[in-house]
Amino acid sequence: MITTHMLVIPCGHPCARVPTQPLNGVILIAKKQKLTTSTGRPIQKKPLGKRIWNNRGFYLMFIPVLVYVLIVYYWPMLGIRYSFYDYTLKKIEFVGLKHFQKMFSEKEFWKAFTNTLVLSVTKLFITTAASVIVSVFINEMANLFAKKVLQTVIYLPHFMSWTVTAAIFTLFLSTSSTGFVNETLKNWGWIKESIDFMHETSLWRIVYYLVNIWKETGWGTVIFLATLAGINPELYEAADIDGATRLQRIWYVTVPELANTIIIVLILNLAKVLNLFESVFVMYNNRVFEVSDVISTYIYRKTFLTAIPNYGYTTAVGLFKSLVGCFLVIVCNWASKKVRGRGIL
Amino acid sequence: MARKKEFTAGRKHRTGVFDVVNYIVFIIIGLIILIPIWKVLSDSFNAVGVYKFQLFPNKFTLDGYKVIMTTQKLYRPFVNSVVTTVIGTLLGLVMSTLGGYVLAQKDMPGRTALAYFLLFTMIFSGGMIPEYLVMKKLHLVNSMWILVVKHGMNVYNLVLMRNFFEGIPGSLFEAAKIDGCTPMGIFFKIVLPLSKAALASIGLMYAVTVWNDYSTVQIYITNRDQVNFQYILRVMVMDGDTPVTQYSVSQTTLYYAAIICAILPFMLLYPFLQKYFVKGVNVGAVKE
Repeated sequence: MITTHMLVIPCGHPCARVPTQPLNGVILIAKKQKLTTSTGRPIQKKPLGKRIWNNRGFYLMFIPVLVYVLIVYYWPMLGIRYSFYDYTLKKIEFVGLKHFQKMFSEKEFWKAFTNTLVLSVTKLFITTAASVIVSVFINEMANLFAKKVLQTVIYLPHFMSWTVTAAIFTLFLSTSSTGFVNETLKNWGWIKESIDFMHETSLWRIVYYLVNIWKETGWGTVIFLATLAGINPELYEAADIDGATRLQRIWYVTVPELANTIIIVLILNLAKVLNLFESVFVMYNNRVFEVSDVISTYIYRKTFLTAIPNYGYTTAVGLFKSLVGCFLVIVCNWASKKVRGRGIL
Repeated sequence: MARKKEFTAGRKHRTGVFDVVNYIVFIIIGLIILIPIWKVLSDSFNAVGVYKFQLFPNKFTLDGYKVIMTTQKLYRPFVNSVVTTVIGTLLGLVMSTLGGYVLAQKDMPGRTALAYFLLFTMIFSGGMIPEYLVMKKLHLVNSMWILVVKHGMNVYNLVLMRNFFEGIPGSLFEAAKIDGCTPMGIFFKIVLPLSKAALASIGLMYAVTVWNDYSTVQIYITNRDQVNFQYILRVMVMDGDTPVTQYSVSQTTLYYAAIICAILPFMLLYPFLQKYFVKGVNVGAVKE
């Protein structure tokens, strides 16, 4: 019997500790392994030409995927050259690095860049923290039925689109007489005047974070709960024998077991901090650009809401975003290898 | 795989103050999530707009839904959404199954190269504008099929499928081969029947993505005949641009009814398919 893919996880390895750890990122590239017989003697492969011929059916199967990926993903990459051109409706003309100079001197662009980082990173840390806390306490629930019902409920908002979420909260928070939140607060006598949650520069970010917590906290717990399900029950028994209280058990057993997963979740998500578009786009408006404009919305506005768009300039901004994103992925991949001995790619 | 009995940290203890507080907190969390959804549902049936803290309609009406079902500019996007979601999901499933199965072939020459070919698209992309220009060349701008094309395949889902296929024991294939089954026969007779659960999870992931997509429509489509329901919802609620001329119903009731229509398909499926929804994250997770 020939085994080609036996992979032994060493005992001290971080992966070995949590067998059901769901967060793999993507393992796309398998390590090359030598073909050996069960006794460890290397076996000779068939000649390459023969192997290609034997697999001809599979190559045929891959053609649709190949064509799709070439058209939808690779063809646009050729368009990156436009970042060195003036590209308007009338002309395409080479201009060198003009767009990049313009971009880096533009105040609006840097505003968008810092806003992206601030919104994205804050959102990531807040929702991760909320998910960790919620999953730790779900884990303490003894009644399995209640646990299942609760999980069903808190996963729910994740499957609603950003449009729906924004629509719900815009209607609830509106200042008109149809705004549920303002009317309720006034009714209870907590406030006298309606608060314009969505159009106030000082409030918009808070509303944005709260909506994110509402929508994504529950879904974030999936990963942590899977890790918690893999904790060795003996650890809790040992803690009980040592006379630990419930809170002590949480603090000294549950939380340390989660540490590794928390770091991985943060790393995986840090790689995509720049991909912030829809959630902001559906909630922002021109009165709060100052605190809400992010790179993608900036690109969108400069292209589709400008009378004579220069595709060259917005392509350049997009290229900058892609390059920084690429750099972040590589850094996070490296960090992930350090932490758990396996990359995210 | 034998199912491990679920372990809960709190199980061995008698119910104490901690548990009581814990349950109360979780009831509150559950209410925070459910009340907005419930409020939307109840107000979509509410003929008289009273928007204080009340959780039941004071005068029941179905007019909001009637308006949506009878106004062409409102039900047309809904039909578009259904059509693109169904076709997009099927295309996505076919593509990720094909690609995943090919990449799972261990002795196929060039498999690593193909994997890198796909991997690169996850690290780097052309960006919004070059993509737009390509789609313009393909005459997909202002057509709802852009939704199908853009979500026709997701590399991440393809990798999940591949990981799943690699988890199928190799001895099954060997046995089939010895019995004279062709590679295609193995795919249709053994692999696909075994992957029903994985296909359900990934199909749901595609369906949710296509159905919920708003930004693609916003970028690519201006023709109101081609937009999907998310777009029309957004235009109505945020821009106040209601495509209804005569109101037999309060505007807010109509908005709430539209929100319910936008979430209805998945809310109906969700309780029954929850395990598939969640499994999407875990497919291909354990890889030994």
